[in-house]
Amino acid sequence: MNALLKKEMRLSALLLTYLFIGFSLMTFCPGYPILCGVFFITLGIFQSFQSAREANDIVYSALLPVAKSDVVKGKYQFVLLIELCGFALMVIFTLIRMTVFASSAAYLHNALMNANPFFLGMTLLIFGLFNVIFVGGYFRTAYNLGKNFVIYIVVAFVIIGIAEALHHFPGLDALNAFGFEHIGLQAALFAAGAAAFAIMTYMSYKKACEDFEKIDL
Amino acid sequence: MNIVEVKSICKSYPAFRLDDVSFSLEKGKITGFIGRNGAGKTTTIKSMLNLVHADGGEITYFGLPLHGHEMEIKQRIGYSTGTISWYPRKVIREIVDVTKAFYPTWDDEAYRRYMSLFGIDENKKPIELSEGMKVKFNLLLALSHRAEVLILDEPTSGLDPFSRDELLEMFRTLKEHGVTILFSTHITSDIERCADNIVYISNGKIRAASSKADFMQNNGRPGETLEEVFLRLEREVIA
Repeated sequence: MNALLKKEMRLSALLLTYLFIGFSLMTFCPGYPILCGVFFITLGIFQSFQSAREANDIVYSALLPVAKSDVVKGKYQFVLLIELCGFALMVIFTLIRMTVFASSAAYLHNALMNANPFFLGMTLLIFGLFNVIFVGGYFRTAYNLGKNFVIYIVVAFVIIGIAEALHHFPGLDALNAFGFEHIGLQAALFAAGAAAFAIMTYMSYKKACEDFEKIDL
Repeated sequence: MNIVEVKSICKSYPAFRLDDVSFSLEKGKITGFIGRNGAGKTTTIKSMLNLVHADGGEITYFGLPLHGHEMEIKQRIGYSTGTISWYPRKVIREIVDVTKAFYPTWDDEAYRRYMSLFGIDENKKPIELSEGMKVKFNLLLALSHRAEVLILDEPTSGLDPFSRDELLEMFRTLKEHGVTILFSTHITSDIERCADNIVYISNGKIRAASSKADFMQNNGRPGETLEEVFLRLEREVIA
């Protein structure tokens, strides 16, 4: 583990952020918008950013013998670590729902989104939006958190609302596939979500490095 | 020999301008950086640490320009301030454990020695330290990675007279060990007690940068103390 990630995990992060990874368990909630689990994981990351700001973390980091872009990299590494831990658990829970609970009545009679590869693609899309709007936005000032997080909340819940309702639209019921039904389409949607996540995170990281280099602390 | 050179630094804000700031730090000497509140001391220091981007000018350490050698230079310098507390609710031992990974020159023996000298308990949190102890903790971090230059922004600010005297005495001890120190202050008696050189800033401009003796010779009037000289010079600037 590199020194900056270690610093993020031990000095900048709150215990709450690690605990909020547990919201991936919401993948099992029947009759509940399960994509909200993603939002709660990002809420945990937001809490760490807030705590780190009060601890003068960013100036401390900038004074260390590292490039300013490495300070940005450390933050992104930490965010990705938390997101991917949450995502890995969601993958496991989704696979359990797709196999063990494939014919469970509680899930079959669910008006909301089912846990399937499309759901996993949407989780990655929302994590990617968080990285662009909140994490990338933070490095424009290195202190302003609230405005970016509010914008992220609005965008995230619009996406959650659309994703949860989409399979009710005519011709889109395959989005809510149970078990391994429509697996080709489902895999393609998952891949699209993963690609969106990778592109958004990379672009946001590059922009954050440029922005952070320019600002005065 | 000059170990740090600040050349023609400029920085404009809507209501303030740092104008053509130039001075140098002699190796193994203590330089007092004096000016009233808002004169530009912190902006200059932040420019020296690349926390603030100067609009123009150049800063060199050890003969190397800061731009392009920042990582290498930051390995060899230390910064402390009396006004900021890092990770106030983390245990000092943990802060140190994380920080030392960034410095190949970290010296655990020096860390133990200075910790004992400063009377710091590594099981405490910064929030539990007095203002003076916070400054000492920052110094502890800097000295444990064998910083050759210490840049201290108002380290005596908020300290009681006894703690101030103790800290200034420590500066003299560090100087004997070859450490170069720049400390900003608006308290003239700090300069009188331990500075070899004076850099005087007013309204964003350097008014004087010389040895303490030369400063008095060039600016003082018969019978004036250092404080009286500064007060008169400030009044002249306002007038």
